[in-house]
Amino acid sequence: MEENRKEGAASQKNVSILVAEDDPVARRLLEKKLKDWGYRVYKADNGEKAWEILRQPDLRIAILDWMMPGMEGPELCFRLRQTRKPRYTYLILLTAKDTSFDVIQGLEAGADDYMTKPVNFMELKARLQTAHRIIELEDRLLQARKKLMRLATTDSLTHAWNRRTIMKFIKEEISRYTRGGRPFGLLMIDLDNFKQINDTYGHQAGDTVLRNLVKLFIKNLRNYDRVGRYGGDELIVLLPASDIFNTGILAARLLDLTRKSKIRLRTGEKISITLSIGGTAVDSLSQTQINNLIQTSDRALYLAKKLGRDRAILFGDSVNLEITEKQNARKR
Amino acid sequence: MPEKDSTIPPINKEEALARIGGEEEFLNELLEIYRQEFNRRYVELEKAVAEKDFQMIRESGHSLKGASANLSLPALREAAYEMEMAGKNQDLSAAKNALKKLKSEFDRLQKFLSQKG
Repeated sequence: MEENRKEGAASQKNVSILVAEDDPVARRLLEKKLKDWGYRVYKADNGEKAWEILRQPDLRIAILDWMMPGMEGPELCFRLRQTRKPRYTYLILLTAKDTSFDVIQGLEAGADDYMTKPVNFMELKARLQTAHRIIELEDRLLQARKKLMRLATTDSLTHAWNRRTIMKFIKEEISRYTRGGRPFGLLMIDLDNFKQINDTYGHQAGDTVLRNLVKLFIKNLRNYDRVGRYGGDELIVLLPASDIFNTGILAARLLDLTRKSKIRLRTGEKISITLSIGGTAVDSLSQTQINNLIQTSDRALYLAKKLGRDRAILFGDSVNLEITEKQNARKR
Repeated sequence: MPEKDSTIPPINKEEALARIGGEEEFLNELLEIYRQEFNRRYVELEKAVAEKDFQMIRESGHSLKGASANLSLPALREAAYEMEMAGKNQDLSAAKNALKKLKSEFDRLQKFLSQKG
Protein backbone atom coordinates (compact mmCIF):
# COMPACT_ATOMS: atom_id res chain seq x y z
CA MET A 1 0.00 0.00 0.00
CA GLU A 2 2.70 2.44 1.00
CA GLU A 3 4.68 1.37 -2.02
CA ASN A 4 2.18 3.07 -4.32
CA ARG A 5 3.27 6.45 -3.11
CA LYS A 6 6.94 5.71 -3.45
CA GLU A 7 7.44 7.78 -6.54
CA GLY A 8 6.35 11.31 -7.22
CA ALA A 9 4.89 11.65 -3.80
CA ALA A 10 4.49 15.31 -4.52
CA SER A 11 4.54 15.74 -8.28
CA GLN A 12 2.35 18.68 -9.16
CA LYS A 13 -0.31 16.49 -10.77
CA ASN A 14 -1.56 14.98 -7.58
CA VAL A 15 -0.92 17.92 -5.29
CA SER A 16 -3.88 19.93 -4.12
CA ILE A 17 -3.29 23.54 -3.26
CA LEU A 18 -5.50 26.03 -1.50
CA VAL A 19 -5.69 29.66 -2.52
CA ALA A 20 -7.28 31.65 0.30
CA GLU A 21 -7.59 35.22 -0.83
CA ASP A 22 -10.51 37.62 -0.60
CA ASP A 23 -9.42 39.73 -3.55
CA PRO A 24 -11.03 38.08 -6.61
CA VAL A 25 -8.37 39.41 -8.99
CA ALA A 26 -5.52 37.88 -7.04
CA ARG A 27 -7.53 34.72 -6.49
CA ARG A 28 -8.20 34.22 -10.20
CA LEU A 29 -4.63 35.09 -11.09
CA LEU A 30 -3.19 32.55 -8.64
CA GLU A 31 -5.73 29.96 -9.69
CA LYS A 32 -4.80 30.25 -13.36
CA LYS A 33 -1.07 30.13 -12.74
CA LEU A 34 -1.29 27.16 -10.42
CA LYS A 35 -3.57 25.27 -12.80
CA ASP A 36 -1.13 26.00 -15.64
CA TRP A 37 1.59 24.46 -13.48
CA GLY A 38 -0.52 21.34 -12.97
CA TYR A 39 -1.95 21.75 -9.49
CA ARG A 40 -5.43 20.90 -8.36
CA VAL A 41 -6.66 24.24 -7.00
CA TYR A 42 -9.15 24.86 -4.20
CA LYS A 43 -10.31 28.41 -3.57
CA ALA A 44 -11.59 30.25 -0.54
CA ASP A 45 -12.58 33.88 -0.21
CA ASN A 46 -12.76 33.95 3.56
CA GLY A 47 -11.09 32.44 6.59
CA GLU A 48 -13.83 29.99 7.56
CA LYS A 49 -14.00 28.45 4.12
CA ALA A 50 -10.22 28.25 4.03
CA TRP A 51 -10.26 26.42 7.36
CA GLU A 52 -12.68 23.80 6.03
CA ILE A 53 -10.44 23.08 3.05
CA LEU A 54 -7.20 23.21 5.03
CA ARG A 55 -8.28 20.30 7.16
CA GLN A 56 -8.71 17.97 4.18
CA PRO A 57 -6.02 15.31 4.51
CA ASP A 58 -4.88 15.52 0.89
CA LEU A 59 -4.46 19.28 0.97
CA ARG A 60 -0.70 19.69 1.18
CA ILE A 61 0.04 23.30 0.20
CA ALA A 62 -1.86 26.46 1.04
CA ILE A 63 -1.35 30.05 0.00
CA LEU A 64 -3.06 32.20 2.61
CA ASP A 65 -3.69 35.90 2.43
CA TRP A 66 -2.72 37.62 5.65
CA MET A 67 -5.78 39.85 5.77
CA MET A 68 -9.04 38.07 5.16
CA PRO A 69 -12.54 38.36 6.51
CA GLY A 70 -13.45 35.68 9.00
CA MET A 71 -10.06 34.37 9.96
CA GLU A 72 -6.76 35.94 9.02
CA GLY A 73 -3.80 34.05 7.61
CA PRO A 74 -1.71 33.78 10.77
CA GLU A 75 -4.67 32.53 12.78
CA LEU A 76 -5.28 29.83 10.18
CA CYS A 77 -1.63 28.80 10.41
CA PHE A 78 -1.80 28.69 14.17
CA ARG A 79 -5.01 26.69 14.27
CA LEU A 80 -3.81 24.18 11.70
CA ARG A 81 -0.61 23.55 13.61
CA GLN A 82 -2.67 22.86 16.73
CA THR A 83 -4.53 20.03 15.01
CA ARG A 84 -2.87 16.68 14.57
CA LYS A 85 -3.19 16.52 10.82
CA PRO A 86 -1.47 13.30 9.79
CA ARG A 87 0.26 14.72 6.73
CA TYR A 88 2.16 17.97 6.67
CA THR A 89 0.68 21.05 5.02
CA TYR A 90 3.06 23.67 3.71
CA LEU A 91 1.78 27.16 4.42
CA ILE A 92 2.71 30.31 2.52
CA LEU A 93 1.45 33.65 3.82
CA LEU A 94 0.77 36.57 1.49
CA THR A 95 1.22 40.09 2.72
CA ALA A 96 0.79 43.50 1.16
CA LYS A 97 4.12 45.15 0.53
CA ASP A 98 3.50 48.40 2.36
CA THR A 99 1.43 47.11 5.24
CA SER A 100 3.37 47.01 8.43
CA PHE A 101 3.35 43.35 9.23
CA ASP A 102 5.43 41.19 11.39
CA VAL A 103 7.24 38.42 9.56
CA ILE A 104 8.17 36.86 12.87
CA GLN A 105 4.55 36.82 13.96
CA GLY A 106 3.56 35.01 10.78
CA LEU A 107 6.33 32.45 10.99
CA GLU A 108 5.73 31.88 14.68
CA ALA A 109 2.07 31.25 13.98
CA GLY A 110 3.23 28.30 11.92
CA ALA A 111 3.72 29.58 8.38
CA ASP A 112 6.59 28.02 6.42
CA ASP A 113 7.15 30.95 4.12
CA TYR A 114 5.74 34.32 3.17
CA MET A 115 5.53 36.41 0.03
CA THR A 116 4.61 39.99 -0.64
CA LYS A 117 1.87 41.04 -3.03
CA PRO A 118 1.61 41.51 -5.91
CA VAL A 119 3.01 38.05 -6.25
CA ASN A 120 5.98 37.57 -8.51
CA PHE A 121 5.16 34.28 -10.19
CA MET A 122 8.70 33.24 -10.99
CA GLU A 123 9.40 33.60 -7.32
CA LEU A 124 6.25 31.72 -6.36
CA LYS A 125 7.21 28.85 -8.63
CA ALA A 126 10.63 28.64 -7.01
CA ARG A 127 9.14 28.76 -3.54
CA LEU A 128 6.71 26.01 -4.41
CA GLN A 129 9.72 23.84 -5.25
CA THR A 130 10.78 24.28 -1.65
CA ALA A 131 7.29 23.29 -0.57
CA HIS A 132 7.57 20.12 -2.63
CA ARG A 133 10.91 19.27 -1.11
CA ILE A 134 9.48 19.58 2.38
CA ILE A 135 6.38 17.58 1.56
CA GLU A 136 8.40 14.84 -0.09
CA LEU A 137 10.74 14.65 2.88
CA GLU A 138 7.78 14.44 5.19
CA ASP A 139 6.17 11.71 3.10
CA ARG A 140 9.38 9.71 3.02
CA LEU A 141 9.76 10.09 6.76
CA LEU A 142 6.23 8.87 7.27
CA GLN A 143 6.83 5.90 5.00
CA ALA A 144 10.06 5.07 6.75
CA ARG A 145 8.29 5.25 10.09
CA LYS A 146 5.54 2.93 8.87
CA LYS A 147 8.10 0.50 7.54
CA LEU A 148 10.07 0.58 10.78
CA MET A 149 6.88 0.07 12.70
CA ARG A 150 6.08 -2.96 10.57
CA LEU A 151 9.60 -4.32 10.97
CA ALA A 152 9.50 -3.79 14.71
CA THR A 153 6.14 -5.46 15.24
CA THR A 154 6.02 -8.34 12.81
CA ASP A 155 7.92 -11.51 12.27
CA SER A 156 9.92 -11.25 9.07
CA LEU A 157 9.40 -14.87 8.02
CA THR A 158 5.68 -15.29 8.52
CA HIS A 159 4.48 -11.66 8.76
CA ALA A 160 2.59 -12.70 11.85
CA TRP A 161 2.95 -10.38 14.85
CA ASN A 162 6.26 -10.94 16.57
CA ARG A 163 6.46 -12.24 20.09
CA ARG A 164 6.82 -8.88 21.77
CA THR A 165 3.82 -7.46 19.93
CA ILE A 166 1.46 -10.40 20.42
CA MET A 167 2.35 -10.34 24.13
CA LYS A 168 1.46 -6.66 24.19
CA PHE A 169 -1.89 -7.43 22.58
CA ILE A 170 -2.56 -10.11 25.18
CA LYS A 171 -1.73 -7.68 27.98
CA GLU A 172 -4.08 -5.12 26.47
CA GLU A 173 -6.80 -7.73 26.24
CA ILE A 174 -6.25 -8.62 29.89
CA SER A 175 -6.59 -5.02 31.02
CA ARG A 176 -9.68 -4.62 28.86
CA TYR A 177 -11.09 -7.70 30.54
CA THR A 178 -10.28 -6.58 34.08
CA ARG A 179 -12.03 -3.29 33.41
CA GLY A 180 -15.18 -5.33 33.11
CA GLY A 181 -14.83 -6.24 29.49
CA ARG A 182 -15.39 -9.29 27.47
CA PRO A 183 -13.78 -12.71 27.78
CA PHE A 184 -11.09 -13.77 25.35
CA GLY A 185 -9.37 -16.93 24.23
CA LEU A 186 -5.74 -17.82 23.76
CA LEU A 187 -4.31 -20.66 21.68
CA MET A 188 -0.74 -21.95 21.64
CA ILE A 189 -0.20 -23.86 18.45
CA ASP A 190 2.54 -26.30 17.65
CA LEU A 191 3.17 -27.89 14.28
CA ASP A 192 3.21 -31.64 14.59
CA ASN A 193 6.46 -33.23 13.46
CA PHE A 194 7.94 -29.95 12.34
CA LYS A 195 11.43 -31.22 12.96
CA GLN A 196 10.77 -34.09 10.61
CA ILE A 197 9.61 -31.73 7.87
CA ASN A 198 12.82 -29.78 8.25
CA ASP A 199 14.93 -32.90 8.29
CA THR A 200 13.20 -34.47 5.30
CA TYR A 201 12.59 -31.51 3.02
CA GLY A 202 15.04 -28.93 4.31
CA HIS A 203 14.62 -25.73 6.28
CA GLN A 204 13.20 -23.80 3.35
CA ALA A 205 10.35 -26.26 3.29
CA GLY A 206 9.83 -25.68 7.00
CA ASP A 207 9.70 -21.93 6.34
CA THR A 208 7.15 -22.39 3.58
CA VAL A 209 4.96 -24.48 5.84
CA LEU A 210 5.04 -21.86 8.58
CA ARG A 211 4.33 -19.02 6.20
CA ASN A 212 1.42 -20.82 4.59
CA LEU A 213 -0.02 -21.79 7.91
CA VAL A 214 -0.05 -18.21 9.16
CA LYS A 215 -1.70 -17.11 5.92
CA LEU A 216 -4.32 -19.82 6.31
CA PHE A 217 -5.03 -18.79 9.90
CA ILE A 218 -5.36 -15.12 9.15
CA LYS A 219 -7.63 -15.80 6.21
CA ASN A 220 -9.97 -17.98 8.23
CA LEU A 221 -10.07 -16.24 11.58
CA ARG A 222 -12.13 -13.15 12.36
CA ASN A 223 -10.53 -9.87 11.38
CA TYR A 224 -9.99 -8.85 15.00
CA ASP A 225 -8.21 -12.08 15.93
CA ARG A 226 -4.43 -11.86 16.17
CA VAL A 227 -1.87 -14.37 15.04
CA GLY A 228 1.63 -14.12 16.45
CA ARG A 229 4.81 -16.12 16.34
CA TYR A 230 5.90 -17.17 19.80
CA GLY A 231 9.01 -19.11 18.88
CA GLY A 232 10.38 -21.54 16.27
CA ASP A 233 7.28 -23.43 15.19
CA GLU A 234 5.01 -22.16 17.92
CA LEU A 235 2.25 -19.74 17.09
CA ILE A 236 -0.07 -17.86 19.41
CA VAL A 237 -3.58 -16.90 18.45
CA LEU A 238 -5.45 -14.30 20.46
CA LEU A 239 -9.21 -14.47 20.14
CA PRO A 240 -10.95 -11.39 21.55
CA ALA A 241 -14.58 -11.63 22.59
CA SER A 242 -14.50 -15.41 22.90
CA ASP A 243 -15.42 -17.61 25.84
CA ILE A 244 -14.08 -21.15 26.21
CA PHE A 245 -16.65 -22.54 23.79
CA ASN A 246 -16.05 -19.96 21.05
CA THR A 247 -12.36 -20.61 21.53
CA GLY A 248 -13.00 -24.31 21.11
CA ILE A 249 -14.95 -23.75 17.91
CA LEU A 250 -12.15 -21.63 16.45
CA ALA A 251 -9.53 -24.18 17.53
CA ALA A 252 -11.55 -26.92 15.82
CA ARG A 253 -11.72 -24.79 12.68
CA LEU A 254 -7.93 -24.35 12.62
CA LEU A 255 -7.33 -28.06 13.18
CA ASP A 256 -9.73 -28.92 10.42
CA LEU A 257 -8.40 -26.41 7.89
CA THR A 258 -4.82 -27.45 8.51
CA ARG A 259 -5.66 -31.13 8.18
CA LYS A 260 -7.37 -30.54 4.85
CA SER A 261 -4.79 -28.20 3.40
CA LYS A 262 -1.94 -29.59 1.38
CA ILE A 263 1.04 -27.31 1.47
CA ARG A 264 2.90 -27.17 -1.81
CA LEU A 265 6.64 -26.86 -1.48
CA ARG A 266 8.88 -25.11 -3.95
CA THR A 267 9.98 -28.49 -5.22
CA GLY A 268 6.40 -29.19 -6.20
CA GLU A 269 5.84 -31.77 -3.47
CA LYS A 270 2.70 -31.45 -1.40
CA ILE A 271 2.74 -32.27 2.27
CA SER A 272 0.02 -32.62 4.85
CA ILE A 273 0.41 -31.31 8.33
CA THR A 274 -1.48 -31.37 11.59
CA LEU A 275 -1.46 -29.20 14.66
CA SER A 276 -1.43 -29.60 18.39
CA ILE A 277 -3.22 -26.82 20.17
CA GLY A 278 -3.34 -25.90 23.82
CA GLY A 279 -5.50 -23.07 24.94
CA THR A 280 -7.52 -21.33 27.53
CA ALA A 281 -10.10 -18.61 27.79
CA VAL A 282 -10.37 -15.85 30.30
CA ASP A 283 -13.93 -15.73 31.45
CA SER A 284 -13.52 -15.31 35.16
CA LEU A 285 -11.14 -13.22 37.19
CA SER A 286 -8.98 -16.18 38.12
CA GLN A 287 -6.46 -15.69 35.35
CA THR A 288 -5.45 -12.13 34.85
CA GLN A 289 -1.71 -12.59 34.75
CA ILE A 290 -0.17 -13.05 31.36
CA ASN A 291 2.30 -15.63 32.69
CA ASN A 292 -0.55 -17.73 34.04
CA LEU A 293 -2.31 -17.65 30.69
CA ILE A 294 0.76 -18.73 28.80
CA GLN A 295 1.50 -21.43 31.39
CA THR A 296 -2.03 -22.81 31.28
CA SER A 297 -1.99 -22.88 27.49
CA ASP A 298 1.42 -24.51 27.53
CA ARG A 299 0.21 -27.23 29.89
CA ALA A 300 -2.78 -27.83 27.65
CA LEU A 301 -0.52 -27.99 24.61
CA TYR A 302 1.73 -30.52 26.34
CA LEU A 303 -1.29 -32.69 27.07
CA ALA A 304 -2.53 -32.40 23.47
CA LYS A 305 0.79 -33.70 22.21
CA LYS A 306 0.90 -36.44 24.80
CA LEU A 307 -2.57 -37.63 23.85
CA GLY A 308 -1.46 -38.19 20.26
CA ARG A 309 -1.26 -34.78 18.54
CA ASP A 310 -3.69 -33.42 15.91
CA ARG A 311 -6.00 -32.16 18.60
CA ALA A 312 -6.73 -29.25 20.88
CA ILE A 313 -6.93 -29.24 24.64
CA LEU A 314 -8.50 -26.23 26.33
CA PHE A 315 -8.38 -25.55 30.05
CA GLY A 316 -11.19 -23.26 31.03
CA ASP A 317 -12.13 -21.95 34.43
CA SER A 318 -15.08 -24.28 34.79
CA VAL A 319 -14.68 -26.72 31.94
CA ASN A 320 -11.92 -28.47 30.03
CA LEU A 321 -12.35 -29.46 26.39
CA GLU A 322 -10.70 -31.90 24.06
CA ILE A 323 -11.20 -31.46 20.34
CA THR A 324 -10.15 -34.18 17.90
CA GLU A 325 -11.01 -35.08 14.35
CA LYS A 326 -13.45 -37.88 15.16
CA GLN A 327 -15.48 -36.47 17.94
CA ASN A 328 -16.11 -32.80 18.21
CA ALA A 329 -15.58 -30.96 21.45
CA ARG A 330 -16.15 -33.16 24.44
CA LYS A 331 -15.78 -32.45 28.07
CA ARG A 332 -12.87 -34.00 29.85
CA MET B 1 -0.04 66.40 -7.71
CA PRO B 2 -3.45 65.30 -9.05
CA GLU B 3 -2.72 66.99 -12.38
CA LYS B 4 0.53 65.16 -12.65
CA ASP B 5 -1.14 61.85 -11.83
CA SER B 6 -3.69 62.18 -14.54
CA THR B 7 -1.01 62.41 -17.19
CA ILE B 8 0.18 58.92 -16.30
CA PRO B 9 -1.86 56.15 -17.97
CA PRO B 10 -4.23 54.54 -15.43
CA ILE B 11 -2.81 51.11 -16.23
CA ASN B 12 0.75 50.04 -16.75
CA LYS B 13 -0.25 47.45 -19.27
CA GLU B 14 3.22 46.17 -20.03
CA GLU B 15 3.92 45.50 -16.40
CA ALA B 16 0.52 43.88 -15.88
CA LEU B 17 0.95 41.65 -18.92
CA ALA B 18 4.43 40.67 -17.86
CA ARG B 19 3.14 39.71 -14.45
CA ILE B 20 0.31 37.53 -15.67
CA GLY B 21 2.28 35.83 -18.40
CA GLY B 22 1.57 37.91 -21.48
CA GLU B 23 -1.94 36.83 -22.41
CA GLU B 24 -4.03 39.84 -23.38
CA GLU B 25 -7.23 37.81 -23.18
CA PHE B 26 -6.50 36.81 -19.61
CA LEU B 27 -5.74 40.41 -18.71
CA ASN B 28 -9.15 41.40 -20.05
CA GLU B 29 -10.77 38.67 -17.98
CA LEU B 30 -9.00 39.97 -14.88
CA LEU B 31 -9.97 43.56 -15.66
CA GLU B 32 -13.58 42.45 -15.88
CA ILE B 33 -13.30 40.72 -12.50
CA TYR B 34 -11.72 43.93 -11.22
CA ARG B 35 -14.58 46.04 -12.58
CA GLN B 36 -17.16 43.93 -10.76
CA GLU B 37 -15.12 43.86 -7.58
CA PHE B 38 -14.59 47.60 -7.69
CA ASN B 39 -18.31 48.27 -8.06
CA ARG B 40 -19.10 45.98 -5.16
CA ARG B 41 -16.42 47.51 -2.95
CA TYR B 42 -17.37 51.04 -3.94
CA VAL B 43 -20.96 50.54 -2.76
CA GLU B 44 -19.57 48.99 0.42
CA LEU B 45 -17.24 51.95 0.95
CA GLU B 46 -19.96 54.53 0.34
CA LYS B 47 -22.02 52.83 3.00
CA ALA B 48 -19.04 52.49 5.35
CA VAL B 49 -18.18 56.20 4.99
CA ALA B 50 -21.80 57.17 5.63
CA GLU B 51 -21.87 54.97 8.72
CA LYS B 52 -18.33 55.87 9.83
CA ASP B 53 -17.49 52.17 9.83
CA PHE B 54 -13.72 52.60 9.91
CA GLN B 55 -13.04 48.89 10.18
CA MET B 56 -14.90 48.31 6.93
CA ILE B 57 -13.21 51.32 5.33
CA ARG B 58 -9.86 49.86 6.17
CA GLU B 59 -10.62 46.32 5.02
CA SER B 60 -12.28 47.29 1.76
CA GLY B 61 -9.52 49.78 1.04
CA HIS B 62 -6.91 47.14 1.73
CA SER B 63 -8.56 44.62 -0.53
CA LEU B 64 -8.97 47.10 -3.39
CA LYS B 65 -5.38 48.12 -3.00
CA GLY B 66 -4.27 44.53 -3.55
CA ALA B 67 -6.49 44.07 -6.59
CA SER B 68 -5.23 47.34 -8.10
CA ALA B 69 -1.62 46.41 -7.50
CA ASN B 70 -2.07 43.05 -9.22
CA LEU B 71 -3.24 44.75 -12.39
CA SER B 72 -0.69 47.57 -12.22
CA LEU B 73 -3.23 50.34 -11.70
CA PRO B 74 -0.99 52.83 -9.84
CA ALA B 75 -3.48 55.67 -9.32
CA LEU B 76 -6.24 53.35 -8.13
CA ARG B 77 -3.80 51.56 -5.91
CA GLU B 78 -2.80 54.89 -4.39
CA ALA B 79 -6.42 55.93 -3.82
CA ALA B 80 -7.21 52.56 -2.22
CA TYR B 81 -4.17 52.91 0.00
CA GLU B 82 -5.39 56.34 1.13
CA MET B 83 -8.72 54.74 1.91
CA GLU B 84 -7.09 52.01 3.96
CA MET B 85 -5.06 54.60 5.89
CA ALA B 86 -8.14 56.74 6.45
CA GLY B 87 -9.80 53.72 8.00
CA LYS B 88 -6.78 52.97 10.10
CA ASN B 89 -6.48 56.56 11.31
CA GLN B 90 -10.25 56.97 11.68
CA ASP B 91 -10.06 60.05 9.47
CA LEU B 92 -13.48 60.60 7.93
CA SER B 93 -12.57 63.52 5.67
CA ALA B 94 -9.60 61.58 4.27
CA ALA B 95 -11.96 58.69 3.60
CA LYS B 96 -14.35 61.00 1.74
CA ASN B 97 -11.50 62.35 -0.36
CA ALA B 98 -10.26 58.85 -1.11
CA LEU B 99 -13.76 57.83 -2.17
CA LYS B 100 -13.89 60.70 -4.68
CA LYS B 101 -10.48 59.86 -5.95
CA LEU B 102 -11.36 56.20 -6.36
CA LYS B 103 -14.43 57.12 -8.39
CA SER B 104 -12.62 59.53 -10.71
CA GLU B 105 -9.66 57.17 -11.20
CA PHE B 106 -11.96 54.27 -11.92
CA ASP B 107 -13.86 56.33 -14.51
CA ARG B 108 -10.58 57.34 -16.05
CA LEU B 109 -9.51 53.69 -16.29
CA GLN B 110 -12.78 52.63 -17.89
CA LYS B 111 -12.52 55.44 -20.41
CA PHE B 112 -8.93 54.56 -21.15
CA LEU B 113 -9.79 50.90 -21.67
CA SER B 114 -12.77 51.60 -23.92
CA GLN B 115 -10.66 53.89 -26.09
CA LYS B 116 -8.01 51.24 -26.41
CA GLY B 117 -10.51 48.47 -27.02
